[in-house]
Amino acid sequence: MAPAGFRPLRIAGYAALVLWSAVVLFPLYWVAITSFKTPSQVNGGPYYLPFVDFMPSLHAWVYLLVDLRNDTLRPFFNSFVVALCSTVLAVLAGAMAAYGLSRFRYRVHLGSIGLFLLALGLAAVAVVQAGVHWPVAAAAALAFFFLAVRALAPRMRRSVGNQDILFWLISQRILPPVVVVIPVYLMFQQLNMLDTLPALVVTYATVNLPIVVWIMYDFFNALPRDLEESAAMDGASRMVIFLTVALPLARAGLAAVFLLVWILSWNEYLLALFLSTADSQTMPLLVAAQNATRGPQWWYMSALIVLMIVPVIALAMLLMRFIRRGFLVGAVKG
Amino acid sequence: MNAAGPPPAGRWSLWADRNAGSIFLLPAAVVVLAFSLFPLLASFYLSLHRFKFVSGGFELRHVGWLNYKKLLFGSQQYHFLGTAGEWHAAFTFVVVAAAAALIFCLYRAARRGVGAAGIVGRVLAAAALLVLLLLFLRIIVTGVPGTLATTLVYVFAGGALQFAIGLGLALLCTSGLRGGNFFRVVFFLPLMVTPVGIAYAFRMLSDMSKGPFAPLWKFFGGENFSWAADPWQARMVVIIGDSWQWIPFIFIIMLAAIENVDNEQREAARMDGADAWQVFAHVTWPAVMPAAATVVLIRAIEAFKIIDLPNILTNGGPGIATESMALHAFAAWRTLDLGGSAAVAYLLLVVSVVLSISFFNLVVAPSRRLR
Amino acid sequence: MRIAMRNVNKWFGANHVVNHVNLEAEEGEFVILLGPSGCGKTTILRLIAGLEQCDEGQIIIGERDVTALPPKFRDLAMVFQSYALYPHKTVADNIAFPLALRRVPAGERRQAAHEAAAQVKIADLLERYPRQLSGGQRQRVALARAIVRRPAAFLMDEPLSNLDARLRSHMRAELKNIQKRLGITTVYVTHDQIEAMTLGDRVVVLNQGEVSQVGPPGEIYGNPRTLFVADFVGSPPMNQVRGRVRQGVFYAGDSKVAVDAADCEHAVLGVRTEDVAPAAAADGDFAGVIYASELLGDCTLVTCQTGDTLLALKTDKNFAGGIGEPFGVRLNRDRLFLFDANHGRRIDNNARRAGKP
Ligand SMILES: Nc1ncnc2c1ncn2[C@@H]1O[C@H](COP(=O)(O)OP(=O)(O)OP(=O)(O)O)[C@@H](O)[C@H]1O
Ligand SMILES: [Mg+2]
Repeated sequence: MAPAGFRPLRIAGYAALVLWSAVVLFPLYWVAITSFKTPSQVNGGPYYLPFVDFMPSLHAWVYLLVDLRNDTLRPFFNSFVVALCSTVLAVLAGAMAAYGLSRFRYRVHLGSIGLFLLALGLAAVAVVQAGVHWPVAAAAALAFFFLAVRALAPRMRRSVGNQDILFWLISQRILPPVVVVIPVYLMFQQLNMLDTLPALVVTYATVNLPIVVWIMYDFFNALPRDLEESAAMDGASRMVIFLTVALPLARAGLAAVFLLVWILSWNEYLLALFLSTADSQTMPLLVAAQNATRGPQWWYMSALIVLMIVPVIALAMLLMRFIRRGFLVGAVKG
Repeated sequence: MNAAGPPPAGRWSLWADRNAGSIFLLPAAVVVLAFSLFPLLASFYLSLHRFKFVSGGFELRHVGWLNYKKLLFGSQQYHFLGTAGEWHAAFTFVVVAAAAALIFCLYRAARRGVGAAGIVGRVLAAAALLVLLLLFLRIIVTGVPGTLATTLVYVFAGGALQFAIGLGLALLCTSGLRGGNFFRVVFFLPLMVTPVGIAYAFRMLSDMSKGPFAPLWKFFGGENFSWAADPWQARMVVIIGDSWQWIPFIFIIMLAAIENVDNEQREAARMDGADAWQVFAHVTWPAVMPAAATVVLIRAIEAFKIIDLPNILTNGGPGIATESMALHAFAAWRTLDLGGSAAVAYLLLVVSVVLSISFFNLVVAPSRRLR
Repeated sequence: MRIAMRNVNKWFGANHVVNHVNLEAEEGEFVILLGPSGCGKTTILRLIAGLEQCDEGQIIIGERDVTALPPKFRDLAMVFQSYALYPHKTVADNIAFPLALRRVPAGERRQAAHEAAAQVKIADLLERYPRQLSGGQRQRVALARAIVRRPAAFLMDEPLSNLDARLRSHMRAELKNIQKRLGITTVYVTHDQIEAMTLGDRVVVLNQGEVSQVGPPGEIYGNPRTLFVADFVGSPPMNQVRGRVRQGVFYAGDSKVAVDAADCEHAVLGVRTEDVAPAAAADGDFAGVIYASELLGDCTLVTCQTGDTLLALKTDKNFAGGIGEPFGVRLNRDRLFLFDANHGRRIDNNARRAGKP
């Protein structure tokens, strides 16, 4: 498919690339210039070129950053904290799981899975039917589970292995957030954690964990084992090997996964809508909030969208040289 | 030279090394169990109940499968499944032909010996495909689509469009044109924008009186016309917004996959006299097929969850024309019909699991086995 | 420290890879594991290292039973065939890594890394990354990383196999020198004859997971206990003539040789090339024609065909016989080995006299 030599094909190729660049850039351009328009310029529009057919004004930016200041910066800060913490958490837990799955052999007895579900069911029945306090029920169920596993483990035969666990972890991504969001909402209500940042952090980390496992599993699998065995001989513990040998070697994948997960949590809207009301409001909520009773405030909204893109672009530039390779390995093998 | 000696084999560090496997898996397992498994079961429980606020809390009344029945056969059927249109004679022909083809495929699979689980899975997948076909004919072609059909349109039509454009751009960027690096960075940008922002941006862009294309509409004499009032055009706008965001994702992965293909293979094919199309069909495509299958799967999984765009761009309208299943569940939640919301969400889960796993087993896994 | 394997067994699925292996390496000894590809050398090394678990048997280091201990606690240093250098660390950091794991202060660490590097003559490469080094240099870095601390023992898995012939012989001498200077027990895996002969205090010959023979290199060469060892050790390989033994005479085709061995219907007569001498076609032990003649440099290797067996011998480098010319050979009667072709064990009486190795 190399039109490189043939003239008309090459021109068509460039035309397509330029056309798509326009498709990509024009909406961004429009958002950017709208953030410098006054309400009357927006409503009287359309105006295309700053300084040529309208006079740009900083009023939206001044309003957001000076007049409102904390009401803008706090959601920004919230988003930043949530994205950073949840991404670090997801990447760490996910990379650990992926590493474990690529290096150790696991056998989880079907029997203990059954026992776990049984314990969960008993606890649920106890809470719903008998009105037992839920922490009591949870503790009792856990205790039941561990005792039963200890007692019955030698009798269990069938078990699931690494590939099943991997599939289970990855398949969590199929779960639509709307399926889990109501129980999660009730759960955080019980824990008195509604409208707090930790609630968002933990939820986002869970939702994005499968992506990390998916991509990192292939990365770790592709690494030569010699290096890690050599480190083990030299006296490194498993955790030290993971941190000082495996992670640095897989940094390309880590960078790509980090960026992807960051983008997903930084931009997330639905879960935040459920789990935060005021104190832990994040940027996407703030953007949506500009669609006020007075109608959409396009100028503020646009400024906020621009404000949201900037940190992501900065992060992407920081990690960009790793990215292309990183995305591939996860995609090709899996 | 340093006589460092053996590290102390303390009980704790020995224990940690022996149980390293469990320790590595534990955080992820706990997190998933707590925040996925429990809510999943709770949600199912909720879907069998009617939720009501009472003074000082809430009350759950068991209603059995009522919430599901309502969606599939009862008062909410129009909303979820849609309204079936007339039956054309041609449809019968299409359905019979499709059923025959599926049965033939099943027969061939059985001959190849795919095992009991494989047969059951294939029968389920075939049944799902037939149901989809019926849905497509009666609801999408002649009837009024509900949220299920709309979601499937987003997944299939949107996915196909995104894959075609994403792959095309990736091929263009690897075909030796100059400036490839610049275009790569530019094409990646939409992925970074929050879906909420994209929804509002496309609302501005598609505004027919004050948006940037308003003069164009005027020129064509369409100023009195509104896309938001036409179901299919409204869906188109949602798909366009969704595609604008997700084409970069497909683009970037296909780009990497194509670049990973051994260039010598391509050159060898060209030496053997293959033209550009043949090189693509016989060398590049087989090599990138596993990546393509995987990226389509990822995209489909994410597309089933689409909610931000229709919610903000069209608010599900006109009527329920652009409402996805996720949005349906969200709307039910907003009216405090928690049981109904959970039921919709659960049906969404079932549909996406069946289709994703079928796709994985029938397309993604075989494509990998070939390598 | 002393290393011992007691009756160790290891299966990979149904594949019995290590079969009742007993092995001792005394304090400061240089022990070679020699055997053809796939015979389980690497597996044995990895069992000692703790990178694989024994299915049966015990492994003892010093006085400690380490059978169930993870590698980290065994205090061994291993040089991998691939060197296993950390690509993201400089040479200095690579060498100092074992010390960093033991929380040695940075200053001491740098000092020790420098000394270890100096021992293997790479002190000027400390700031480079592994990708900026040649194969021989990388190999030295791996060696330096092993000697930077005093481990209980060194384990080396064909460390020289990636090097060219010259560098290999140079590194061989260096390795031997360092090992003797440090006096650290070493277990060394190779399938290279010359390495085994020159480096080892003792050689362990392995065949399909079993120990065939253990002994000093000279004994392995000069008194092989089985046909396998005789065949595998030595280059060019030992000459083998099939025949039968009846009442102290070995018969093969028309030829016969007096031997000191028990009767055997399917016997193999083995004789090293240097124990075969040319003779007049009439009064040699075997008569035949010249099959091939190769100039090796310091001598000529002549292959003589008698019946359907080939016999090789070394003669003067100016040897000028043409292919097809008649040729006779005489065997050195004191240096004949007789094996039972069925189980491969020695049946001549010299074997018993030499005692059990
Ligand atoms: N992880 C493993 N799983 C299954 N079989 C294995 C594994 N590692 C080695 N084997 C098998 O065990 C046998 C011995 O392998 P090993 O690596 O010890 O041989 P080796 O003597 O080191 O050979 P070489 O000289 O080629 O390195 C071989 O048949 C090999 O196929
Ligand atoms: Mg080996």
